[in-house]
Amino acid sequence: MQLKKYSINTALYALMLLCLIWALSLILIMLMSSLKTQVNMFEMPPKLFFAPTFESYREMFFGRGDFPRFLKNSLMVSILTTIVCLFLGVMGGFGLARGGFKREKDISFWIISTRMAPIPAVILPLYLIFSKLQLIGTTTGLILAYTTFNLPFALWMMTTFFKDVPADLEEAAMIDGCGKFRAFWRIVVPTASPGIVATAVLCLMFAWNDYLFASIFTNRQTQTIPIAVSLLVSQSGIKWGQAMATGTVIITPMLICGLLVRKYMVRGLSMGAVK
Amino acid sequence: MEQAAIRPLKRRAKWNRTEFWMLLPSVIVLAAITIFPFFFMIYASFMDYRLDMDHPRFAGLENWQNTLTDETFWQSWGRTVVYAGGGLILQLLLGTGIALLLYHIPKFRNLFSTLVMLPVFVAPIVTGLLWRFLLDPTYGFYHWIVRQLGFDVQILGDPNFAMLAVIFMDVWEWTPLVTLIVLAGLQTVPEEPLEAADVDGANAWQKIFLVMLPMIRRMIVVALLIRSMDILRYVDTIVITTEGGPADATKTIGYYLMQVAFRFQDIGSAAAVGLTMLVVSTLMGRFFIKVLKAEEA
Repeated sequence: MQLKKYSINTALYALMLLCLIWALSLILIMLMSSLKTQVNMFEMPPKLFFAPTFESYREMFFGRGDFPRFLKNSLMVSILTTIVCLFLGVMGGFGLARGGFKREKDISFWIISTRMAPIPAVILPLYLIFSKLQLIGTTTGLILAYTTFNLPFALWMMTTFFKDVPADLEEAAMIDGCGKFRAFWRIVVPTASPGIVATAVLCLMFAWNDYLFASIFTNRQTQTIPIAVSLLVSQSGIKWGQAMATGTVIITPMLICGLLVRKYMVRGLSMGAVK
Repeated sequence: MEQAAIRPLKRRAKWNRTEFWMLLPSVIVLAAITIFPFFFMIYASFMDYRLDMDHPRFAGLENWQNTLTDETFWQSWGRTVVYAGGGLILQLLLGTGIALLLYHIPKFRNLFSTLVMLPVFVAPIVTGLLWRFLLDPTYGFYHWIVRQLGFDVQILGDPNFAMLAVIFMDVWEWTPLVTLIVLAGLQTVPEEPLEAADVDGANAWQKIFLVMLPMIRRMIVVALLIRSMDILRYVDTIVITTEGGPADATKTIGYYLMQVAFRFQDIGSAAAVGLTMLVVSTLMGRFFIKVLKAEEA
């Protein structure tokens, strides 16, 4: 019996190891390739131990690719989008969670279907409107485009987080003489702050990771890093070293952010369906 | 006594007004960037509209007729069904399997689930890039493995394998999400029915299939819906790896739309295609809300 249990556990860990290799091998290969020389990168099978070089990164940052500008654009657009959507989303989410509006169901449905709309179908009409408003190629245009999915996301998530905060809390504060808005800022927002942080991180991630919107709405001045990836690939001959380094720069901050709010990640990615 | 009952009601009415004003800015912004474009798209679908035109001309049902009789349109939807269906089935099976594995593992469950989760943070464009790197016919590692196994095939260049490859890219990135949703469901399964099954002499498989999975079927439906809507949303991996090819083998409806709009510059027809996509995703969204409501009840 003891032996059987032991062998079952061994099998479970072996399977787990297999899953981990499947999930992580790509990320590790990218990381290692970005630190290899062009020659080492293409050795088969890939070497696990090698003398790391930062040549690809040096070329990426200081070469002719103008990478720092891509990085700056990406940072600016995703941070500004997150601030705008979070501000509106926190206020609106509270309104929707507590308002008891008669049309609450319809509003929720509208919000979620906006978030779930296929990106190509959103890009097309926005492109036509933005070109009339001269917003193509501007940072404002891209921020507005990202708002189409991040605002409904923030609204929806904040509604579910605020519904978890008992209404007695703010009612008690109001009985103690707190104004209604003050009760919201001083009592409800701090209570829901883990949810707010998690929502912010996900908004940041959705904007940072986007490629398709950026490929249509940006020009040479406003391109973001995902565009840098596609430029490295589509030009004649792929610069794999720089492409791997760029990929690493794109995913590293998101891995760190994601792990920081790990507890709320699944809830966010499942639109609040998993508490 | 009566007063105490009335006072909270009055306060609630006052709150409602504040809440209305708090929600209003979001609703206005969201309406401006989604409802207006939506109606604009309906309008465009009835116009002869090209990117270089300032004044589109009314075209009646021409775009709709062209789109709905276009073989490529239906083939693209067909491929979307294969892409989404294949991806979803694989993700569901693998995701549930890995969730059960994590559930039964005696130690380090949190560490393992964190590590398994990492692919969901990777930008889809980088996922595509990585797979392209690994499948490259001259120096890709996965291609090398396939060749060592005795198959000489250019995976992304072969119409039969390219679709399988883009499906696997989606499976690699999003199986962890299914895993974590299902795992969260498994962790809410109460002890009693499992103990009762033990008393009845059920083995581990019977407990999984007869007790656990039926109890978490709503979670499984939620995972399916979330994934089915997102699988329609993104075309990034296809754009960077196959560009819809080879021989249109990976041209899904989203990629087809981008092509009609921005390569062929036929906005009117693209708008019609976009509307068909919106109808499908809206129906799925409605279903999602229904499932969630049923869960709360």
